Amino acid sequence: MFGESGCGKTTLLKLIKKEIAPYGELKGSIIYNNKPIDELPDKLSACEIGFVGQNPDGQIVTDKVWHELAFGLENMGESTNNIRRRVGEMASYFGIQNWYHRSTDSLSGGQKQLLNLASVMAMQPKLLLLDEPTSQLDPIAAADFIATLQKLNREFGLTILLVEHRLEEVFPIADKVIAMDSGKILACGSPVEVAKLLQKSKLSLSLPTAVRIWYGLGSKDVPPMTVRQGKDFLEKHYSQCAGRSVAVDKYSGAETVLEAKNVYFRYEKNLPDVLKNFNIAVTKGEIFSILGGNGTGKTTALNVLSGLDKPYKGSSNVFGKKISKYKGNSLYRNMVAMLPQNPIAVFVQSTVKEDFYELLKAMDVPKDSAEKKVNEVTEIFNIEHLLNKHPYDLSGGEQQKAALAKLMLTEPKIILLDEPTKGLDAFYKESFAHILRKIKDKGVTSIIVTHDVEFAAEVSDRCGLFFDGQIIALDTPNEFFCNNSFYTTAASRISRELFKNAVLCSQVIQLCSNEAGEECP
Amino acid sequence: MKAFSSMHPFVLMIYFLSVLITAMFINNPIIQFSALFGGIAFCGMLTTAKQKLSDIAFYIPLLILISITNPLFSHNGETPLFFMNGNAVTLEAIVYGVFIAVMVIGVMLWCKCYSLIMTSDKFLYLFGRVLPKPAIVMSTALRYIPMLKRQSAKVKKAQKAMGFYTSESYFDRLRFSLRVYSVLIGWSMENAVETAKAMNARGFKLKNHTSYSNYKFKTVDFLLLALNIALIIFVFWGVGSGAVAFSYYPQITHIDTSAFSLAVYSAYLILVFIPFFIEIQERIKWNCYRSKISALHTQRMKKEQ
Amino acid sequence: MKKILSYLIFLVCIPLAIALGMAVFGDRQYAFAAAAVAVLSCIPFFISFEKGENNTTRLVIIAVMVALSAIGRLVFYYVPGFKPVTAMVVITAIYFGAEAGFMTGALTALISNFFFGQGMWTPFQMLAWGLIGFAAGLLAKKLISSKVLLCTYGAVSGIAYSLILDLFGVIWADTYFNLSRYIAMVVSSAPFTILYAVSNVIFLLVLQKPLGKKIERVKDKYGI
Repeated sequence: MFGESGCGKTTLLKLIKKEIAPYGELKGSIIYNNKPIDELPDKLSACEIGFVGQNPDGQIVTDKVWHELAFGLENMGESTNNIRRRVGEMASYFGIQNWYHRSTDSLSGGQKQLLNLASVMAMQPKLLLLDEPTSQLDPIAAADFIATLQKLNREFGLTILLVEHRLEEVFPIADKVIAMDSGKILACGSPVEVAKLLQKSKLSLSLPTAVRIWYGLGSKDVPPMTVRQGKDFLEKHYSQCAGRSVAVDKYSGAETVLEAKNVYFRYEKNLPDVLKNFNIAVTKGEIFSILGGNGTGKTTALNVLSGLDKPYKGSSNVFGKKISKYKGNSLYRNMVAMLPQNPIAVFVQSTVKEDFYELLKAMDVPKDSAEKKVNEVTEIFNIEHLLNKHPYDLSGGEQQKAALAKLMLTEPKIILLDEPTKGLDAFYKESFAHILRKIKDKGVTSIIVTHDVEFAAEVSDRCGLFFDGQIIALDTPNEFFCNNSFYTTAASRISRELFKNAVLCSQVIQLCSNEAGEECP
Repeated sequence: MKAFSSMHPFVLMIYFLSVLITAMFINNPIIQFSALFGGIAFCGMLTTAKQKLSDIAFYIPLLILISITNPLFSHNGETPLFFMNGNAVTLEAIVYGVFIAVMVIGVMLWCKCYSLIMTSDKFLYLFGRVLPKPAIVMSTALRYIPMLKRQSAKVKKAQKAMGFYTSESYFDRLRFSLRVYSVLIGWSMENAVETAKAMNARGFKLKNHTSYSNYKFKTVDFLLLALNIALIIFVFWGVGSGAVAFSYYPQITHIDTSAFSLAVYSAYLILVFIPFFIEIQERIKWNCYRSKISALHTQRMKKEQ
Repeated sequence: MKKILSYLIFLVCIPLAIALGMAVFGDRQYAFAAAAVAVLSCIPFFISFEKGENNTTRLVIIAVMVALSAIGRLVFYYVPGFKPVTAMVVITAIYFGAEAGFMTGALTALISNFFFGQGMWTPFQMLAWGLIGFAAGLLAKKLISSKVLLCTYGAVSGIAYSLILDLFGVIWADTYFNLSRYIAMVVSSAPFTILYAVSNVIFLLVLQKPLGKKIERVKDKYGI
């Protein structure tokens, strides 16, 4: 099930499980196994319908992994021996046995989500509901999670109802897909049927790359779903166009605004280096993406560049001045701003507006010009309707936008963004990319740390691959992703045999059409 | 290091309660010194060399401080040694000061051992048997503490990078911490609602919960428990019958050396050294195994040659 | 059945143990009685919490409050004696009732000592913070309407907390109430006591309103 955020998919999903159904007025009925769900016995509803939400942390109840696995079974009143067996089974099946005795907080995001799944599975559900379970995970953990779901479905015939906006992997393997829009079902059927139905809809934006290429090329034949099918499709219909390439300019930067030279950093004396001989030079007005695996120290790199963590060797400069020479909070006034991975950490007050004015007050901006400034950013970010809301009532995408808007009030020249697209749907990503370009036009330099290759390919001027404490490869997005064989966009993987340097959906579509905009014969 | 702590939590709890109650409330120097030495021996097995040094640096001055200050508060006793500001400093008061110091430090050492051995999950297991609801509250709180720690570091960074942390002055730091704390409160409230939903989704509202644990009651647990109870009953019997009665004021009494009293003292000595013996035995056993294994290894090597 | 049995253990065996202890410990019987009373008087609160109907969200919020007070000891580590525990306990009690106040206070003492070290002081801390919360819950209406009263409550409870803990210390050390030792202990800990009382007032003033707002918000939004 998918759709734009706020379309009601999560609400629908939660209504199926009565324990977590949102408050409000309900008309009509939801039937589970020929029975309306509000008539189901409590125990049956608790056991047979399992639910896993999107926030890996929020759902964990107890402090130890083994207790978390046993929690549901304890509630059902199972005997110790029964629990021991089921918990043992689950731990073995999900590969949890090695961290069975650990405390739940020491796990990685992917492990936490797997634990949430395993502790729901321990109750032996017949229907599993999942609400964007991979949205907070890095791509590798997300793929593992989806593979586990697929395995559960294949091996046990478990019914799975999954709400997701990251469709690249999930869409092709679904038996049935539901597209939702403003509280209604827009399309429902097999992936191929739905792909065909959604051609003209705005929801087409969130479909897998292969489908979008197929749309762009006039949708003949059967829509391809996966990278492999996309490749076959291009080969079958566009082999005549082989050899074309996207023209790529070398990047020519202006003056360097932010620079790190031979930086070394570690958190504690006895821990290994997180940054090792880390070098970077970012030029004015550039959008610079740092890509790389999880837990490799990308966030640390951002913290060092923003002056929050101090390197023990090497130096970093902002506008030619050493970061340590910026006294007090002068680095964070009209200079550097940082959007953290979890944007909620930026907010303090009970409405977005109050938050904005509080920051301006702290900056000693007089009242009338404060109002002007707030109006200005609300306009750029298009967040008029969010101003009077509580920050926690905003969706993930709205929080992201409002947080960045708040940071822009300090009028930074350099902005550092940590995983800005995490958990965002395709529409928010697009509008976020749009905002980044707007900021860029004002001469602001952005440095983005991200896992999201598609997003990086779309917005960046340059991309760097972060590995082993340093940036090991650096290029314009086209060259960068075409030179990578694995760490690259779906469009690049689909088209690499035919074309050179195509990394975006739109570029593939363009190369398949000739100069006049018509398709190849 | 693991031998004693791998005992069943119930047995451990009874053991610590027996030692702590006797160490805290029996007025007898031999009992107090036994408790102190038992505590030192056990603590020594549990801590690293560095911790031992810092413990020594903490407890020795404390011992001296408590013993020398007692005569200032207490002027009882029949044997004045000298006069200070018109008050008698008595032999009894000085001896009693040493005795309190020994008692306080002995109890503190045992509390330290308790903290190291009775980890939160063992305590929760016992607690959860009788009071499941408060136990789940505790478990959830323990789950939130490290999460809040991480979140507070994130909030600190985010707020700092907006320039809210202006200077190193004490007042600014305090204001900044309050700010971070306030953000943390809001964040955890929202998270709490989500956690509550996750609990309900997994049937927390159902009646008749059971409580699961990984602990099993082994024969060795039973043996230790039996020994513990036998010893403590014997000690209490001794205390109750007055065989180890002792008083400092108005005059220091003599320590009773009848066979029965000596038996009570030995019983107590055994009680407080149980964990030490268990740890020592475990180490010897391991060393034996290790040398056996390496001996086997060298034999095999020779054969292969 | 199992539960009744365990309550029986609490209600019969423990008083029995105290009576026995009083008989056995002679000189130190008052210290023993004080410790036993501290432990025992927590029990009815825990039992009534166990028996009472408690909404899951309330349980989790109490857990979160406990975690927050414990973490507060860490966030403000650089100011000795400056701890938000009492303020958090009082605020929880005001918004969630006396029982929740007691639980938050008692469990904060118990849990934070897992990190800072358990000791003979644990039961006393549990009881003291628990009672501070319980009383605040009973006075909720008055405390919420008057800032002066709230601050007075914070200051008084801070001082009373230290005085009571010292009292036990004296009885334990001297087997009777030794006034000169008590005065010495109170005087030597006076700077901390004062700082503690002041910090209670500051925390209550700073936290009550925003925390109250946050609690009301969650109450409204999710209908607790």
